[in-house]
Amino acid sequence: MDAFKKHLRNVLFGALIIGVLIIILIPIYWIINTSLKGPREVISPIPSFFPKQVTFSNYSSIVKAGIWRNFFNSVIVSFSATLFSIILAFLASYALVRHKFPFNFNRIFLIWVLVVRILPPIVLAVPLFSVFNQVGIINTLGGLVFAFQIYTLPYSIWIIYGFLKSLPLDFEEAALIDGASPLRILVSIVAPLVRSGIIATSIFSLILAWNEFLFALLFVRTPRLLTLPVVIARFIGEYTTQWGELMAIGLFASVPILLFANVVYKKQTEGFSLSLK
Amino acid sequence: MKSSQRRAYNSFFYIILLPALILILFLTAYPIISVTYDSFFKYDFITQARTFLGFQNYVKIAGEELFQRSFINTFIFTMVASVLEVFFGVLLAFLLHRQFFGKRVASLIIVFPMIISTMVISAVWQIFYHYEIGLFNFLLQKVGMKPIGWLIDQKIALFSIIIIDIWQWTPFAFLIIQAGMLSIPSDIFEAAQIDGARGTQIALKITLPILASQIMLVLMLRTIDTFRLFDKVYALTGGGPANSTQTLSMFIYREGFAFFNFGRASAASVLTLFVVAFLALFYVRSLLKEDN
Repeated sequence: MDAFKKHLRNVLFGALIIGVLIIILIPIYWIINTSLKGPREVISPIPSFFPKQVTFSNYSSIVKAGIWRNFFNSVIVSFSATLFSIILAFLASYALVRHKFPFNFNRIFLIWVLVVRILPPIVLAVPLFSVFNQVGIINTLGGLVFAFQIYTLPYSIWIIYGFLKSLPLDFEEAALIDGASPLRILVSIVAPLVRSGIIATSIFSLILAWNEFLFALLFVRTPRLLTLPVVIARFIGEYTTQWGELMAIGLFASVPILLFANVVYKKQTEGFSLSLK
Repeated sequence: MKSSQRRAYNSFFYIILLPALILILFLTAYPIISVTYDSFFKYDFITQARTFLGFQNYVKIAGEELFQRSFINTFIFTMVASVLEVFFGVLLAFLLHRQFFGKRVASLIIVFPMIISTMVISAVWQIFYHYEIGLFNFLLQKVGMKPIGWLIDQKIALFSIIIIDIWQWTPFAFLIIQAGMLSIPSDIFEAAQIDGARGTQIALKITLPILASQIMLVLMLRTIDTFRLFDKVYALTGGGPANSTQTLSMFIYREGFAFFNFGRASAASVLTLFVVAFLALFYVRSLLKEDN
């Protein structure tokens, strides 16, 4: 290939990559850009690519409106939902990996876990709303932690099951001969061995729960109990052009999650190449 | 192992499985049974009286234009969005296959859209799509074109939402397909190059066929997720204009949580479940095949 053609190719390639990155980054940049503009500039018919006058008034006004409250609701709910899922999923997956239940139950259970992933959650929402209402956990953060298990539990079981299945039996057998109790083996031998899998699963589950919208919208009504995604949805509906504040909340809801991008990238790539080999 | 010890061990397994089992059944099996049962009744929210209707809810809903519309919109959205996401995902994976300066950072940035909350994404795209003061119409007018009613034109609104979904989820398709590419042993490419194959030939005749199973997997995962479209429609159009972005999830939501017609919401749910069951068949089979 002659040098010129090669050079042209490289330039074209670079331009494509930069084009893709711009498409991806513009909305994210626009969140920051808009959140730093004053109320007048936001609704100007000529959108500005940089704030003419940087102001933090949007941030101070959402803080005054009590955004930390909602932020902590999101934190509490997503961490509790994840912790709960990981513990239940770890226990159940271990049982499924190490014990053959009668009636081909292991396989049926795993298939059911897959099917749950497919169900549109709105289908479950109406009956669950009635039950939650009767039990008295509607409009509580605890109720949300329960509801979020629909997403996080099947997901955690499927992934942790994969990790446990590839674990050799030797360590557990040795510990058993030494007279360790099953619970002891589970906690101090098996859990540390699959630690990295559990951390990865936790991060994915945290993101799922942090961003969940449907049940957070339907099951909680009191403003001070709302999670961030619902606050944003309400904002879009109520104040059609208070975009500065809206984007400030958007940044609040995004920054903690973006910190995990690196892990998501690494684990998603590894995880799938592992299961597809 | 002594038999008493073995029995203790057996019951241990039952005990640790039970919490997850009960919770999953409670959260999924129970609602499905309940929804199926409710779909045969008319439920008066105020008097709490139930009247048995047989299949009337189904017959009525299936004949309604709004339901048909919701079904068709969901179908269009699912097909167009998931196919395009996979298509662009494959292109991206090929584009990023070679080494270049900053590849690691570029890959990280590509992950951003899929981990940000759908609500944040909807909010910022709403700003882009605004008819009078939105960025897109501003740019269109700058190059001398007419403004577009992104979210207010009933011929366009559904596609505007599709564009957002593509922006958000192409990275996911990219990640899985890239993972598939990385697992292809490099000597295959070397052999092809020695045989004199050109870049595009290698891509079409060697890489793509090897990636077929990953491509199917992503296509399925995206089909499943796009089929439940709710968040973006709820935030951006509420199903309008003129029901042009009404989806099955929105239909069930409105019947159940806005009008409290539990019977009708349940019948619509069961009809949705039938479609989903069809998807599930393919999905479960192929995933289990991979697992073995």
